[in-house]
Amino acid sequence: MRKSFSSSLILSLFVLLMCVPFLLTFVYSISTEWGKSILPTGLTLQWYEQLYADPRFIQSVVRSCLLTFGTLIAVLIIVVPSIVMISIYLPKAEKFMKPTVLMPYAIPGVVLATGLLRTYSGSPVPLTAVLSGGIFIYALPFMYQSIHNNLREVDAKTLMEASEILGASKLQAFVRLLLPNIKIGIMVGSLLTFSTFLGEFQITNMLLGGDFETIRIYMLRVMKINGHLSSAVVVTYFLLLLMISAVIVKATSRKSYKLMAGQEETTLSISEMKGSASNELLND
Amino acid sequence: MKRMKKQGSVELNKKIQRQAGACLFPFIAVLLMFLVVPLVIMIRASFADADDTGWTVQNYLTIMTQPFYYEAFKNSFLISLASSLAGIILAMLVAQALVRSKQRVQDRMMLFINMTANFAGVPLAFAFIILVGNAGILTLMLSKIGIPLLNGFNLYSWQGLAVTYVYFQVPLGVLFLYPAFRGIDKRWKEAALLLGAGPAAFWLRVGLPHILPSVFGTFIILFANAMGTYETAYALVGSNINLVTTRIAALVSGDIFAQPQLGSAMAVLFAVMMIAIVIIDEYFLRLVRRDMK
Repeated sequence: MRKSFSSSLILSLFVLLMCVPFLLTFVYSISTEWGKSILPTGLTLQWYEQLYADPRFIQSVVRSCLLTFGTLIAVLIIVVPSIVMISIYLPKAEKFMKPTVLMPYAIPGVVLATGLLRTYSGSPVPLTAVLSGGIFIYALPFMYQSIHNNLREVDAKTLMEASEILGASKLQAFVRLLLPNIKIGIMVGSLLTFSTFLGEFQITNMLLGGDFETIRIYMLRVMKINGHLSSAVVVTYFLLLLMISAVIVKATSRKSYKLMAGQEETTLSISEMKGSASNELLND
Repeated sequence: MKRMKKQGSVELNKKIQRQAGACLFPFIAVLLMFLVVPLVIMIRASFADADDTGWTVQNYLTIMTQPFYYEAFKNSFLISLASSLAGIILAMLVAQALVRSKQRVQDRMMLFINMTANFAGVPLAFAFIILVGNAGILTLMLSKIGIPLLNGFNLYSWQGLAVTYVYFQVPLGVLFLYPAFRGIDKRWKEAALLLGAGPAAFWLRVGLPHILPSVFGTFIILFANAMGTYETAYALVGSNINLVTTRIAALVSGDIFAQPQLGSAMAVLFAVMMIAIVIIDEYFLRLVRRDMK
């Protein structure tokens, strides 16, 4: 009894402390003024109105979304088949893929951005394309980890062989059989990649800075001008993150989702993935 | 006949492998364009003169002899060490409390922790500024009540930075530690108790040896994570505090003081350090895996 009490105390304290910055930012975004007295002087939505009326903000959201989804689609088209090929047919190449999981630690964003800037600044390649290529690299750990685990679970090699014996071509087997079976892995990988891309700051700031104002760059610029406005940006950013994540999860059809792993198992696998994969390193 | 068939299948296998290899072409092209070539060019630049020609080790000598540069490494090291030590201790407390609670609570907490892991960088720096910055709410409250708790605490100093780092270190640490803490089987404890060991003896002889490699591995990950942090530091202190990441960024992409060769050399040193850290970490993680088998 005492034991469970002390652990719930620790957990509650932890949750409370973790929630403080969230709540604080939210209240700050709806208060007229907060700073001269302990409680905010009044509540208002004026900051949101002001924010959504700012064309630069809308543009920054559009830019962030274009960069995020453009790169995510490229990752899905190029990386997913490659990981599948390597896992099934090229076991020798596997050992080159494993270190990618730790890559964000080994090659911090600042180092890669330095290399990219040396290579491409002043070249005809537009820096926005370079930026997209740079963040592409940091999607590898998430994609590899989640898809690789999923492939092992469904025993992909046997699946492919079985469908070929039954007369399917390789392409048919891949599209009609393998892809639906690793849907969850792809979904989890995309989710982690998506939140990393949307929150990208480091490489964007080093390569382009104010020339390509994404949400994060806009956030920092506004932070120095008006705190209330800035907290409205933060709140909007997290709402956007939540909404799009929900859409990605929904888009991966519910039915197969439950059939294959059970919902609880899936949510757990997202969290385990983060622990074992290299996590949100582009975000901080 | 049998042999021929086998030979045929080997050839078929080779053909499939060639085809599979060909499918990797776009992937390899992206890796070359945006990872391998830039890193090679960066290494070359780190050995170049100020006018981008010739070969010299002057850039490295400058970094090792001028305090302005080597102190960036020292500052990053100190902040990372402090924040990961605090982070790992708190994360162990939370992970231990977590595995003791009900399965449903555990699942929900893991989702919650995942969410908080996204709260880093500019939003985190901003939240800390409105909480304990110069005109922060907590600063204000405490000064009104007359408690000088925050006297001498400055958010824009390296202590302030370390405290802010702890905030994202703890959830990350819990995510990494959770599997190891879950791995402590209740039956081990029962067995140990039956054999006459007290709780202290159990932890000393069974529990700690089991989690120690993973605690150490996680500590190194937290350390590496703090070393590589750029956004939070940039948003909070700009370049007022000399850190490796913000220094490199200023050297490479700064408008006035750009010294890309020096920045490249610093980035190479930084990468070598980080790769060494990751290799040490791999060693400890392998220990964990061997324990589990």
